[in-house]
Amino acid sequence: MLALGLALVLAASTGEPPPAPEQPCLARDARGDTFPICFDPGDGVVVGVGTRMSQGSPALSLRAGVHLRTGRTSQSKATPWYNNHRLAGVEAWGGEQRGFTVTAYDGLLRRHLEEGFILVPTARPVRIPFPFDVSLALRAGHLERRPWEGRGWTLETGRVGLLVDPLRAASGRVWLALGPVASHTLRYSPQGTEHALSPFTSLMFDLGLETEDGLWALRASGLAGWNRDVEGGTLDFRARSDASLERVLIAVQDQPVAVRLAGSYVGGDAGLQRRDEWTLGVGLSVRAFSSRW
Amino acid sequence: MLVHAVALGCALLLTQTPGPEAPPPTAIEAAPAPPPEAVDDVPPRVEEPPPAAPVALPTPPSLAPSDKPLPMQRWERPTVCLRLAPTAEVPSGRWRAQCDDTHRRCLVAPARELDIDGIESDRPLERVAACMEEDMARVPPDELRTYEMQASIAEAPPGWYRDERGRVMQFNFDLNRRIWVGGAWSPLSPALVGEGRRDRVRLDFGIALDIDHKRALHRLRFLETELSLGEPSTDFTAVHYDLSVERQDPAFRITTFLGEPRRHDFFLNLGLWVDFLRVEDLKRGDVEGGFITWGAVHGTLDLWHSRDLVSFVRLRAGPAVERDYVNDTSALVPSAVLEGDLTLDRDGFHHLRFAAKAEKLLLARDVPGRDESPERLRLQAGYELILLAINDQPLSLVVDGRGTWRNDLPGLPDRWEWSASAGLRFSFWAPPRRAAPTAEHARD
Repeated sequence: MLALGLALVLAASTGEPPPAPEQPCLARDARGDTFPICFDPGDGVVVGVGTRMSQGSPALSLRAGVHLRTGRTSQSKATPWYNNHRLAGVEAWGGEQRGFTVTAYDGLLRRHLEEGFILVPTARPVRIPFPFDVSLALRAGHLERRPWEGRGWTLETGRVGLLVDPLRAASGRVWLALGPVASHTLRYSPQGTEHALSPFTSLMFDLGLETEDGLWALRASGLAGWNRDVEGGTLDFRARSDASLERVLIAVQDQPVAVRLAGSYVGGDAGLQRRDEWTLGVGLSVRAFSSRW
Repeated sequence: MLVHAVALGCALLLTQTPGPEAPPPTAIEAAPAPPPEAVDDVPPRVEEPPPAAPVALPTPPSLAPSDKPLPMQRWERPTVCLRLAPTAEVPSGRWRAQCDDTHRRCLVAPARELDIDGIESDRPLERVAACMEEDMARVPPDELRTYEMQASIAEAPPGWYRDERGRVMQFNFDLNRRIWVGGAWSPLSPALVGEGRRDRVRLDFGIALDIDHKRALHRLRFLETELSLGEPSTDFTAVHYDLSVERQDPAFRITTFLGEPRRHDFFLNLGLWVDFLRVEDLKRGDVEGGFITWGAVHGTLDLWHSRDLVSFVRLRAGPAVERDYVNDTSALVPSAVLEGDLTLDRDGFHHLRFAAKAEKLLLARDVPGRDESPERLRLQAGYELILLAINDQPLSLVVDGRGTWRNDLPGLPDRWEWSASAGLRFSFWAPPRRAAPTAEHARD
């Protein structure tokens, strides 16, 4: 009987069912310790390493940056804003065509409305359906340096996009923003400094799709349009597009490690010589502090 | 013994632990959520199950469109969450009521928005005040239900309008609190070479913030930027601050003794105007100019201002410290300005702005090719009109005209340069003005 009692006590202590439901983004291991199983690709300090191939030239690449995703309810309009901020983004690559880019700030701010509309201010206001969210894309201080091209650098001082989002997702994890963009770019070389302006003569899109648990993340963006050379007065067409797909494979000390596939194409805008260029890359990245609890 | 052995065996089976082949971790289940339809069905204020109605619920009024506009509920009046009999238009029977006990009459509006067919949708009304549960109302609900029920439009806060379907939209905008981005066609005449530049555009950006405190209005502007292409020029101001004050005590008074003694009060509404880090960069043909104003401090005298201090006509004057980074010289720049910023209508759709500014550069070293007494005169007048609002964000038409006469750039002929512009400006934020009326008052 004693053995039976002891065994039942043991059974009660070890065969205990999982504790009462708590949070969906936490799992419990056999010892009862919890660990996160959801991540936010829009949050965290990102450090990545990988390899890339550009114009047939392979190279090692490094990337780093701070991602910050915020959501807030506007006090003046009582509607939600979904904001993605990327700060201090750095990408550097070696090889024969080594170079780096630094982006001080890159952000997409979206105001979500369940039922968008255009108000026509007649005596009795008229409401015309407008099935889009309104987004603001901001980028400031994007510097590119390619030592193999010689002295000089390219600096996009600022870029502002007034975009609309037809997906209108009630979540910060899905967006598709499209619309016109204005930008100013400086190209400095020993031959002089060129100013190029795109006064809303370019179009851009920005797409983001992430799974609910944040294990998969797809992001794509593109820009095409005309830059005006301030001095020369000429119009130059250029296009850019890039896409990346990330999948979290493991988490080390609850910090997710993801494999990342990326590709980009630049037409008439790469470097000081405004080359056409394509790039493919694969790598691993750690996103610290992006666990969702 | 056999019993003991069987019992021990069973117990040991029960106590089997996973050991090295531990089962995969199980996700901790979330707390059982209510079915989505339940969430969608019920607006926040009326989620509690309704109490059993002791008497038959009265039939609510029809919401069918009519020639006569529906009355509006009032923002400042208390609202009761009232249950009425379910109908085809409002199957849930959930209404918001504002009742008049004297006339035994209630203005009732559905607690949710109506769809395009006039049938109650699952979306609760936006921007309504919380309504009181009917059991908490001063008049018992059974008695309230004996009142005459009149269909109405639910209340909306000041500056917001609600249509017959219960959808809310902003009709009053404060353009002195906004983030704006704009572009305009901005021809220039005459150009240094040729007749003029018609292929010239201007981009502008800025952040405006007004803070009212007691009898003062603090105006802040950040990163105000104008960038012109064609004959290029850039005008950027990092931070601007100015203050308007409504004085209660007269600065001085004059008493007249001709006939009955009479007192005449004179007010001096003095304020402050400050700029930090302004950059002006321009190029006209081969002539280049570049100036950084590290700081400018002016005193202001309001010749007139509106009761809310938002609109004004004023004089201001004061010094600035400026550096000419093209010619590598610094100067003290006193200036005097007559300027006005007028919001011409109640809802903030019409804005008139003008300024006339004279500047003189003092204490600057001589620059070859430049006049010994460099000066600038600037004139500007503009009009901004809100054309429409996209998702409550105003899109406005901006037209303005500018004239500049200057002899502070070596090689630039002394003559007036005129420009005009017409363009659009999109504003974020732009909440209702502080003095915005409710839609009911606006309609009246």
